[in-house]
Amino acid sequence: MSILKDLQREMRERPEGKFNPDYFRYQGYKNSKASDPSAVRADGIYALFTLPEPFIYQNDLIVGSIRPIFVDDVDEKEAEAAAEYGKKYPGRGFGQNGDHFAPDYFTAVELGIPGLIEKIEKSKIAHKDSESALIFLDSMKKTLVGLIEKFRAYAAKAEALKTAEGYDAARLDRIAENCLALTVGAPQTFEQGLQLVWMIHNCFVSEGKYAMALGRIDRFLYPLYEKDVKSGALDDDRATELVANTFAKICEHRYMGYDDVVNICIGGVDENGDDAVTGLTYCVLHAVRDVNMPGPNLSARVSHKNPDKFLDECLKVIGTGLGYPALMNDDVHIAALLRKGYELKDVRNFCMVGCIENFITGKQPPWVDGRFDPICFLLDVLHGFDAGTLDAFASMEVFMALYEKRLAEGAQKYAKWAHDVSDVPDPENHTMPFMSCFCDCCIDRALDINMGGAKYPSAHGAVLMGIGTVSDCLAAIEKTVFVDKSLTLSGIVTAIDHNFEGYENVRETLLAAPKYGNNDDFVDKYAVWYTRTLSDMFDQYKTHDDGPIYTAMAANTTNISAGQGLSATPDGRLAGRPLSDAASPTYGCDTRGVTSTLLSVSKPDYTRCACGTVVNQKFSPSAFTDGKRERLMQLIRVYFARGGQEIQINSTSREILKDAMEHPEKYPNLVVRVSGYSAIYVTLGRDIQEDILSRTQHETV
Amino acid sequence: MTELNVSAIQRFSTGDGPGIRTTVFLKGCNLRCPWCHNPENIRPEPQTLEYKNAGKTVSYGRMMTVDEVFADVMEDADFYRAGGGGVTLGGGEPLLQAEAAAVLLRQLKEADVSTLIDTAGCVPWGKLEAVADVTDMFYFDYKTGDDAKYRTVIGGDRALVFDNLKRLIGLGRNVHVRIPLIPGFNMSEEDCGKICADLGGIGVTHVDLLPFHRLGTSKYEALGLEYAYKNEKPSEPEIIQSIRSFYSRYFVTSTE
Repeated sequence: MSILKDLQREMRERPEGKFNPDYFRYQGYKNSKASDPSAVRADGIYALFTLPEPFIYQNDLIVGSIRPIFVDDVDEKEAEAAAEYGKKYPGRGFGQNGDHFAPDYFTAVELGIPGLIEKIEKSKIAHKDSESALIFLDSMKKTLVGLIEKFRAYAAKAEALKTAEGYDAARLDRIAENCLALTVGAPQTFEQGLQLVWMIHNCFVSEGKYAMALGRIDRFLYPLYEKDVKSGALDDDRATELVANTFAKICEHRYMGYDDVVNICIGGVDENGDDAVTGLTYCVLHAVRDVNMPGPNLSARVSHKNPDKFLDECLKVIGTGLGYPALMNDDVHIAALLRKGYELKDVRNFCMVGCIENFITGKQPPWVDGRFDPICFLLDVLHGFDAGTLDAFASMEVFMALYEKRLAEGAQKYAKWAHDVSDVPDPENHTMPFMSCFCDCCIDRALDINMGGAKYPSAHGAVLMGIGTVSDCLAAIEKTVFVDKSLTLSGIVTAIDHNFEGYENVRETLLAAPKYGNNDDFVDKYAVWYTRTLSDMFDQYKTHDDGPIYTAMAANTTNISAGQGLSATPDGRLAGRPLSDAASPTYGCDTRGVTSTLLSVSKPDYTRCACGTVVNQKFSPSAFTDGKRERLMQLIRVYFARGGQEIQINSTSREILKDAMEHPEKYPNLVVRVSGYSAIYVTLGRDIQEDILSRTQHETV
Repeated sequence: MTELNVSAIQRFSTGDGPGIRTTVFLKGCNLRCPWCHNPENIRPEPQTLEYKNAGKTVSYGRMMTVDEVFADVMEDADFYRAGGGGVTLGGGEPLLQAEAAAVLLRQLKEADVSTLIDTAGCVPWGKLEAVADVTDMFYFDYKTGDDAKYRTVIGGDRALVFDNLKRLIGLGRNVHVRIPLIPGFNMSEEDCGKICADLGGIGVTHVDLLPFHRLGTSKYEALGLEYAYKNEKPSEPEIIQSIRSFYSRYFVTSTE
């Protein structure tokens, strides 16, 4: 633990200058003798990997830092020239399948970098008659040679630092030994495997790529872990320490004022469909706990085949207040991806990139997504007719038919945008030779990851906003206009256009209608409809390379910004207020308790949401204590057995409790449990809130 | 049609017995414990609580048929079955409605759902007898061993409570005795000694100690009532620990 803490302390010191990969790439571009864009790009990447002076922290066990990419004394002319070259060889951004990728670390660990180079050499023989293929293969190779040079430079640096103050010579010996071993072959130990993967990741981050996933680290490092544990060379404490020492460096960005989200996936099933939880799974879980910072975004694939102990250990880590791991229902995710036509063994090896986006590990181009906001089309229907026409609608079915028509038009427009935004007109100028080394089929096909090299085409995620808001709106319209006949559609339009000012009674009537999240089919049927209808609509469209469009319900915090620009809505929501979050019910509207919430949100068919969904729930820290935690496990097991796709649980932090004291309106249903007694926190007097606050502090220490 | 006077139905009610449970709070109580943390369940008529600081009102109390209550709690049946959970009847004093409660409990047993009653036990024996064979577990409060304190402070008959407890244990029912630890009422060594003597003589082996808290304060304010214990701070952990040590000499003890 102390090495980890000391490392984290070391990382807090911000480097001078700014993160500037363009500057180093430019050194390669300007000296390049190549004319093919991929070859020039490879020269740039080679320079980026080899020119920066390696940096090793005193408390590093595994090396690879982004500090060397920070430069502060760039000549103005050089900087301008570098920027010019940057424009000439622009990188692909998020919308152009540029990052959000889970590399094929399975093959990398099995073969090592020299083995990958050998694979490239073999492919060159197979493609000996194609000049373009040979150029691309040589470009890939050049980047890998750069990586080998980087290992060699780190080994030399470790050797040189042995006499430096504050450094531990024995640790540096080990680092040098590991780095040198990786220049000549595949990793032979767990430590070398971890070093290899981390340095590859560091290369991507050095390129400026964001949200690069580590993926199933408890799978691709397992053979080396198993070998070392059997031989007695490794135990779980040491493995955890090594992994934590590595993950801590994911947060380098954060210390330097940037932000990165690196998805790490544990658990689930293996390629045969059997329980994949191992001793290494727990090491990874505990390493994330020990690092105790956002950045390593841990996802737990929870299969019905995984032991209860796995889920329990996950809950213990969540209960520390970290909020990780997010719990993914493996059975639903696998079924959802199978619908998209991938091979079963590839599906079973899925992981996540970014926040929660499903990804076929190392076999498809980087991820892209966008936001689709169905509530806007509902308002279009309401504003699309005069009062007389609106009030002549004979039934809810008429309204739904019009809404579906608008949605279909919207989905078509969205799909065209999704298609075009990723369809780079000159892909040969935007190749990614380094990333292509870690994507299945690129070497064999001698093709870039985005030009047919990847085994599967790209996938696009249409992130659906506001399932709760839309369902509540539709239920309110059905109840008040067509069942109770207490309101008219034109009356609702007038009221929302005035943000309910002067129409408070209309708002009261709308608010009294059933709300999503209370296990009431009257409204829940609309959530089921929403999920099915929208996924059917998007199923008709393809990405630019004929890949699928997935749907998702995981809009991060954009439900807040989307709500800010929106008028009042027929669920009784006031103008500017947030939309419902991700796949969750509208905050404050699920009033019957967590079991009812989960019964509602497990009704839609999430095997149609291949990208993934997010349901947020908060529990007080006491729910995570020994003896109580098993109830959370039961809750999740039932929720998953009923087809829920995801749940992320937060232990209610002191910060939330304090915020709720100042802003009770934000937390109408925040339940605190003390001594088996629960109370709505915001209804408690200040002195009692203080009691609970002091108690919470006690529990989380 | 058999009806129950229901104050509230609380799901995922993890403090009221094993597993995931739903607690049906029945409205109305025959005791007047001045420290009561559920004052909204004392009077039988519907009441609305106005939380002024939170701008929130909550209504308690409505008549529901047994079938309605059954359908409501059965929504969570999957959750109960995942780990020994079920339905708890609390209050108020649920046994004031023992006959209707028994109908509900029987339906739950037939549906293979575990049942629990949380009672102060100050009711005619017949009320307990009515539910005994359809109740898997009793949480039975034993607040004091002192007849006079029971009568003057709480307004009940200790001897009746003691006798009911003894008979229930004699029937072989699964009974957890629970003792609220109320400052100034039952926390002295003498108080604890009396309770231990009473319980030890009738075969009680486990007791749960429930430390006082004042989370009910805001409910009193929302009801427009004065709460006698609003300034009573929770006991220091050391005091709770020493009382627990005392009880541990005679019983297996647990505290929440």
